[in-house]
Amino acid sequence: MTVSVLVVDDSPMARKMLMRSLPENWDIEVTQVGSGAEAIAAYRTGKIDVMFLDLTMPEMDGYQVLETLRKEDLNCLVIVVSADIQPRAQERVLGLGAISFIKKPVDAQKVEAILKEYGIVL
Amino acid sequence: MSSNSILTQEQQEALQEIANIGMGQAGASIAQLLDHFVILSIPKIVTMQPDNVAAALLRTVGPGNISAVRQAFHSILRGEAVVIFGEQRCSDLADLMGYEHDIDHTSEQELLLDVSNIIIGACLRGIAEQMKAEIGFSAPSLIADQVPIEKLLPADSMDWKNALLVEVNFSLEQRSFACHLVILMIEGDLKTLTDSLDRFLAAY
Repeated sequence: MTVSVLVVDDSPMARKMLMRSLPENWDIEVTQVGSGAEAIAAYRTGKIDVMFLDLTMPEMDGYQVLETLRKEDLNCLVIVVSADIQPRAQERVLGLGAISFIKKPVDAQKVEAILKEYGIVL
Repeated sequence: MSSNSILTQEQQEALQEIANIGMGQAGASIAQLLDHFVILSIPKIVTMQPDNVAAALLRTVGPGNISAVRQAFHSILRGEAVVIFGEQRCSDLADLMGYEHDIDHTSEQELLLDVSNIIIGACLRGIAEQMKAEIGFSAPSLIADQVPIEKLLPADSMDWKNALLVEVNFSLEQRSFACHLVILMIEGDLKTLTDSLDRFLAAY
């Protein structure tokens, strides 16, 4: 079954780097957006299975996106992808319901390991 | 943001992301050092002429007296990194580092040098690593000790015509401490920088 993936990052370069690190054989449909507000709008269509979410973004940051999603029942798997590698940043996002944290620059093997762990990719 | 004559849009985006990763590493080092959560801002990258530097710094740091530590770096590109601390920030820093009493001026200066060295090292090593480049640093030196921000990097002290200025701000969530990292990447070496950014882009 095709998995619907949303990539959220204000940096086009970071989106490109993340998309390049997704498993090649993964049957997915990728949408990318550049802001927290657009991420929420995409989430509300109800079609997103997996969201890769940046933390440091202008206006609505990743934490605020996670808080909003949590209020709306969090019907997708969120993997936070951030250059903010403080242990407390990781604790916070996991506390807010993200399933995992990947540091930038993204390691493709780490991405695959997480997706396998959650049975998102076989 | 893209009013940048030196870099193409794509190169700018690549450098932005590279700076972001460097900033994250510096932020984690400060968080560990001060045992506080550090709020990161999005790095700002602008083209500079010597005449504009003072105004840009004033915008970033705000008016008032500052102290600042400078370290030159040489890598695939040459430049200077300066960490700027606002007036109140030195005593805040001493407090955060667990000094119980007012510290003397010499110890305060040493503290600024140490902290700046950690911030600059972490950030620039992160940047260099992304660009697959080696990096070396000069010893940190205190270039301003409670002087007005306008006097920090006067136009006539700069021997270049164009530079890229990368600005990163760090602040603590629960304390008033904040500092600013300013990286000047100097013209002349910018061709090496753009080549390196192109190689970075080609990998993605």
